[in-house]
Amino acid sequence: MNIPNSSTAPNAGEYAGDEVSAIVLDPGYSTTRAGFAGEDVPKSVCPSFYGQIDKDSSSHYLFGENAIHDPLGNLQIKNPWGSDGIVENWDTATKVWEYAITSRLTGSRPSHPAKNGLNDANTNGNGESVDVDMEGLENLENTEKPLGDSPLLMTEPGWNSVKAREKYIEIAMEEWGTPAFYVQKTGVLAAFASGKASGIVIDVGASHTSITPVLDGMVLRKGVQKSPLAGNFVSNQIRLIFKQAQPEIPLTPHYLVKSKTQVDAGTPAQATYRTYDIPPLDSFRRNEEERVLTEFKESVVEVWSGNGRFSNAANEEMAARLPGRPFEMPDGWNQLFGAERYRAAEGLFDAGAALHDADNPKPKDEHTIPRLIQAAVQQVDADQRPLLLSNIVVTGGSTLLYKFNERLNNELNVIYPSTRNKLIAPGPLVERKYAAWIGGSILASLGSFHQLWISRKEYEEHGTNIVEKRCR
Amino acid sequence: MPPFKDEQIIIIAPGSETTVAQLGLPESFTPARTRVRSRMFPAEKEGEWEPYKVRRRQENTATKTGEAQNGAPGAERAAGEDEDEEIAYEEDRVSEEGAVWPLQEGKIVNWSCFFALITHVYNTMNPPFHTPILLIAQPAWTPREHEKLTQFFFEKFKTPAFGLMDAALATCWAYGVHTSTVVDVGKDKVDVTAISEFIPHTQGRVVALPGCGGEALTQGLLSKLRSKGLNRDMCEQLKKNVICEMLPVGVSLPGIGNLSDQDLVTNPAAAASTGALGSGPAAASAIGNAPRGPGADTEVGDDINGEDNDGVLDVASIVAGGRMEEYLAKIDRQKQDKAVAIKKGPAALAAQAKAMKLPNSKREKASFMYEDHALLDTLKGMNLGKQGMADAQAALDEGPQKKGQDGTDGTDGEPKSVVEAVEPGSATSRAGSIRREIEVGPERFQAGSGGVLEKIADAVHRTISSVSEVNKRSELWDALIICGNGSRVRGFKDALLSTIQAKYMISPSSATIFTSEIPSNISTPTGTGANTPQPQLGPHGGSSQVNPLLLAATTAQNPHLMHPGSNPLVNLSSHSSHSSHGQTPTSIKLVKTPEYFPEWKDVGFDESAFLGAQVAAKVIFVVDQGQSKGYMTRPDYNDQGPTGIHDYSL
Repeated sequence: MNIPNSSTAPNAGEYAGDEVSAIVLDPGYSTTRAGFAGEDVPKSVCPSFYGQIDKDSSSHYLFGENAIHDPLGNLQIKNPWGSDGIVENWDTATKVWEYAITSRLTGSRPSHPAKNGLNDANTNGNGESVDVDMEGLENLENTEKPLGDSPLLMTEPGWNSVKAREKYIEIAMEEWGTPAFYVQKTGVLAAFASGKASGIVIDVGASHTSITPVLDGMVLRKGVQKSPLAGNFVSNQIRLIFKQAQPEIPLTPHYLVKSKTQVDAGTPAQATYRTYDIPPLDSFRRNEEERVLTEFKESVVEVWSGNGRFSNAANEEMAARLPGRPFEMPDGWNQLFGAERYRAAEGLFDAGAALHDADNPKPKDEHTIPRLIQAAVQQVDADQRPLLLSNIVVTGGSTLLYKFNERLNNELNVIYPSTRNKLIAPGPLVERKYAAWIGGSILASLGSFHQLWISRKEYEEHGTNIVEKRCR
Repeated sequence: MPPFKDEQIIIIAPGSETTVAQLGLPESFTPARTRVRSRMFPAEKEGEWEPYKVRRRQENTATKTGEAQNGAPGAERAAGEDEDEEIAYEEDRVSEEGAVWPLQEGKIVNWSCFFALITHVYNTMNPPFHTPILLIAQPAWTPREHEKLTQFFFEKFKTPAFGLMDAALATCWAYGVHTSTVVDVGKDKVDVTAISEFIPHTQGRVVALPGCGGEALTQGLLSKLRSKGLNRDMCEQLKKNVICEMLPVGVSLPGIGNLSDQDLVTNPAAAASTGALGSGPAAASAIGNAPRGPGADTEVGDDINGEDNDGVLDVASIVAGGRMEEYLAKIDRQKQDKAVAIKKGPAALAAQAKAMKLPNSKREKASFMYEDHALLDTLKGMNLGKQGMADAQAALDEGPQKKGQDGTDGTDGEPKSVVEAVEPGSATSRAGSIRREIEVGPERFQAGSGGVLEKIADAVHRTISSVSEVNKRSELWDALIICGNGSRVRGFKDALLSTIQAKYMISPSSATIFTSEIPSNISTPTGTGANTPQPQLGPHGGSSQVNPLLLAATTAQNPHLMHPGSNPLVNLSSHSSHSSHGQTPTSIKLVKTPEYFPEWKDVGFDESAFLGAQVAAKVIFVVDQGQSKGYMTRPDYNDQGPTGIHDYSL
């Protein structure tokens, strides 16, 4: 009731904010987070993956959690993000983001004001009605844009290209009709969420790990490091563990199983399977397999946090003596995982320990998290380093791997034995997973932030490159 | 002094099919008194809506037979008197032709229609002033839409206080549990919400999963029965009948026992073809199928089947085609044939009686009474006179004389649906309707053949897996609530539960017990990275002589083996016993229905969201006197505007 919870907004004035009902959009590779500024969790967390069915040379797109897990014939699952951590397919990215905003926040595009039953109270008195009127002349039916009356704060990865940023503002202004826009880097926002203006932000997401040094709320751009060793890498490591096991461990996603029968550990599964007349395509299966792997990561995988690295012979032996953890596949196959469960995430810290085969090349040593941190700190003035190292903000879904923080702490103390290294990893899981969004929510509701918005007028006057001048 | 009294409170729960509402909280909470179909009809002027279909009556018959043409009294209403005296309109309270349904898949798709509907509901209750309103919000409604609704309620009804409550949360209140997984099966959609400590997990909540609600079940029946000449309306009524049932996983259909292990979904062809076996010799030996009498009986059966295919079920078109007499004569003949058959073989009669005593799930065939609205509409359209209308109805209505048989069908102790219990003027007892008997085979068990249950099961798994606090998941699996009127179909809940169990239950791994001393879900801490302390083994005292670790090692992974209360580890606080980050679910249970609401017990807890809303309304409006900010008052609204609602809604 009055217990502040995830669904109640903070009181007006709590952040010295006045009501502009800005929307904060934090797009990521795995999920897209969106919500109202001033709230403590994003109300809308949608998968960034989308479904596509090609039929008669035209493509039909499907968005949202419900659609991408529905095994329709010829369905393929795609992601608008490129392998370099920058949006690749802008058309669908726009749609995915728009879905995240409209499905859970604003509702679908409202019907024409004359019909929506609220015309008597249709107040548009914030001075931004100009564009509505102008557009209105062209096409009365279709001009209500999803963000007609909400300013939009977007987040971007630290390495975002100039072109991509300009595209962001173009989408927000042209497609969504937002009255004001701002874009901020995820690193800064994650630091904000932890209440820090300076620090090093370690963000281990799905597709990328990034290290962002932040000083007084500004990103040190040359210090930003990224590597592809993140959640998806761990997933691939698990696939390799399965593949290289003797005998090979079959990975059957839920949608192919009708019902399972209990079998002894290690023996082949005896499940009844489902078949589809027109099966979905391989990418759908891969996405569903990812669900099983996520479960595996949550319940089995552990980051080695003992002395030194896992690859030391003594450690492997010690790990083998520790109790294993059982895992059951959707088809009923089950086994106890002993020392293997430490191997899946070891590659994040120790490139030499990573499994590899033809499809998954050996990761580069400079891409491991300790090396990235070193490289990032190297770019900072020597006298600032202790300050940064005492504010190491850990965020991103993949940092929830069991014992991740202990290991990170160990590694840091090996590299920087003389400074006071302090990890800041929020306990509540939502804060860890959605740190950048929460930072954005705080920022956009600050009264003093309002002067930073890029207004529609400014955009119309200066064009897209205003984002480069204003959002640093 | 509480700001409001019990009898002033209005609760409105809009749904895609039915909107329920009530003015005042009774001493003992009852199911909603006001039930309105969630649809409106466009009025003459665009943007205005009528609650009932308004028919323009033909001028020539208007003056004579109008009064009695349908059962609704006072339906006469003259409009547009200034232009033409002769044009008259009447309200048709039964027909739904041309209706607009403003809620689809839980989303509000037509706002002006929705507002008109709410206004209609509000006016139906005829409330006095000073009535606070609690609105049950569908999960699909967005925060912006909440604001819109808030504005509407304050400005249209001038309500002194307004509250919004999430439907899933309301269900939680009804069951009196703080943590549960609510599966709300609606008309076209299913919502699955994980709620822990009264807080719904908005991330990962499955909102409005399409193609899984009651309508999908009707379509499932229709896809099986279309070849037999049944239409959607018939299937809808069949679905609501007690003979329609959903069987749990692994239970074979009567008449096709040999197919027991085969997949219903992947073998639609086989299932369909076995339906045709019904009158053949193969089915006679199958479970539950009483042997049919000598030749004549089977002949009758075949005859009916043949006629079905010729479209006899579509009596409306026959009548419209002017061949009513012919049809009636045929029916008469069939009846006589049947009577002869019965006379001929008393054995057959006995067998039939025996078949009646079998539980529905064992009987291969069963029949139900179908209310033919299409026929009624056709008759009305034909402009028969008062007498002609009554004659035709009497001739075509098979209801009364078959009543006894229908009664035996209904003796399975199934609670009457809320609709019937609460609103006497609806469904079966509606005056003037024409009932006909339809017999269906094992297709009636295949409502879920479109994969509905699998889809819902997957949604439940997704919802619970998306709760990031891994240690809460097993608690959520142990507290499933299946509600919503779509789940009213007999056997639905058990079938869904068994589907989930067959697919997602993690059985105890045979590897654990022998390779580790303690099961890992006790020894290892949570996935959050925080070290969870080893459970303190203090409280077990002398209650059990068994080494608790050994007991845990053998039973912890399948708690259903443990005797409640006899295991020392179970007595530990729920917090530490659920601290594992092991795989879930190791057990799946439904929450027990609350026992202290006698009125609800009779009708079932499918609309428990409304019960929860009653409980909540009592608490927020009366008991805590507005301390908890569970609702927004008029001054609050004046201060903060519609956006303020987010600070107040539950």
